[in-house]
Amino acid sequence: MSAEEPNPAATPTPCVDTQGDGRWMSLHNRFVSDSKDKEPDVLFVGDSLVQLMHQFAIWRKLFSPLHTLNFGVGGDATQHVLWRLSNGELDNISPKVVVLWVGTNNHGHTAEQILGGILAIIQVIKNKLPHAHTLVLGLLPRGKMPNPLRERNANVNKLIQEAVSSLPHASFLDVDPGFVHSNGSISHQDMYDYLHLTPQGYQAVCEPLHAHLKSILDKPAEN
Amino acid sequence: MSGEEVNPAAVAQPVEDVQGDGRWMSQHTRFIQECKDGEPDVLFVGDSMVQLMQQFEVWRELFSPLHVLNFGIGGDTTCNVLWRLENGELENIRPKAVVLWVGTNNYEHTAEQVAGGILAIAQLLTSRLPKAKIVVLGLLPRGERPNPLREKNAAVNGLLRSWLPRLGQAQLLDVSREFVPSDGTIIPQDMFDFLHLTSTGYRTVAKPLSDLLLQILEETPEERRASLV
Ligand SMILES: [Ca+2]
Repeated sequence: MSAEEPNPAATPTPCVDTQGDGRWMSLHNRFVSDSKDKEPDVLFVGDSLVQLMHQFAIWRKLFSPLHTLNFGVGGDATQHVLWRLSNGELDNISPKVVVLWVGTNNHGHTAEQILGGILAIIQVIKNKLPHAHTLVLGLLPRGKMPNPLRERNANVNKLIQEAVSSLPHASFLDVDPGFVHSNGSISHQDMYDYLHLTPQGYQAVCEPLHAHLKSILDKPAEN
Repeated sequence: MSGEEVNPAAVAQPVEDVQGDGRWMSQHTRFIQECKDGEPDVLFVGDSMVQLMQQFEVWRELFSPLHVLNFGIGGDTTCNVLWRLENGELENIRPKAVVLWVGTNNYEHTAEQVAGGILAIAQLLTSRLPKAKIVVLGLLPRGERPNPLREKNAAVNGLLRSWLPRLGQAQLLDVSREFVPSDGTIIPQDMFDFLHLTSTGYRTVAKPLSDLLLQILEETPEERRASLV
């Protein structure tokens, strides 16, 4: 990629309403209006993995008590989250922690481009919420058997981990409890379609995530 | 639509693995294996609306006790479901009832084509499982506010209401009216993304569906006795 070529994963882009029911923009507008009458300490932002978490009992058990908002939209890639956060979703709130989980839907993008997209999101959060800490969750493996997207997601994780280690306002958390079995397969008991998590899969991800969030929230602010 | 014209929504087609992780075929292969391992009385087939139902408590509460299999795949159209059913997902099983819920993802097709695609699946089911009752769930409204896809889905339901009874074994269960308040706005408490159902939304669908399935399963032995006499 030449230096002049813009990175599509780091270019704020609204979702085109190809289906014609305007759902993406309805969700974005709802999040903006939700943020006006809530005072969350924690904000989750990302794709369907964030969005679906909100639908299961584990959310009410572990995250609702932390005063959490969920701005997940199914299908979102980094450029879509970047657009949403640049267009009102962060303007009326001041959470202490932003949990960011996005990138697995960046089809056609390289690991380096996805890294660029995630770093651009971290920067927007830093600009809008100078006192917030961004916790980037690692991308999960996907597909029943080993495949190129698993390798790409693993590469993204390696790159993000390195990149955020030097940022005081961001950190990385690998939330994969070991979804890939020794024979290389992922179980539908954990990911019902080999991408999205079952309640059991969410439990394995969310319990350590909750403990980690608590430790960040309990620490006195650093910046 | 002329009699000779092929309905594109009634053409069996597998999903192309554009993302490169083979998830669609992995799920289809798993469903074929589940046919060999289980003896379901009820089979659910369709798209994400079917698939996600299994992730909620209401599934274990109302449907698991009926001995069910769930062959839902997110994003599937009538073409994809038709392909799966023609390629192994009906082998080795003899369910007494099949719940079919698909069509809202058929973006390239008209209401008449979508209804024709659903009818084609129902016909395949009745020919392969002549003793089974087919329950077709009506398409739900979608989008926060009124939009063309809502109108299309409502038109599909209207066509199914008049076409399905001709098959004898098939019937429509349409609960779509439960989801649109008088001001036309769909609420996120029912559909978290104005398409997919929350656990509350699923309860609204599941209660009348489970009542109907219980009724079908109770009637079955009586009819068998009647046919023996
Ligand atoms: Ca850091």
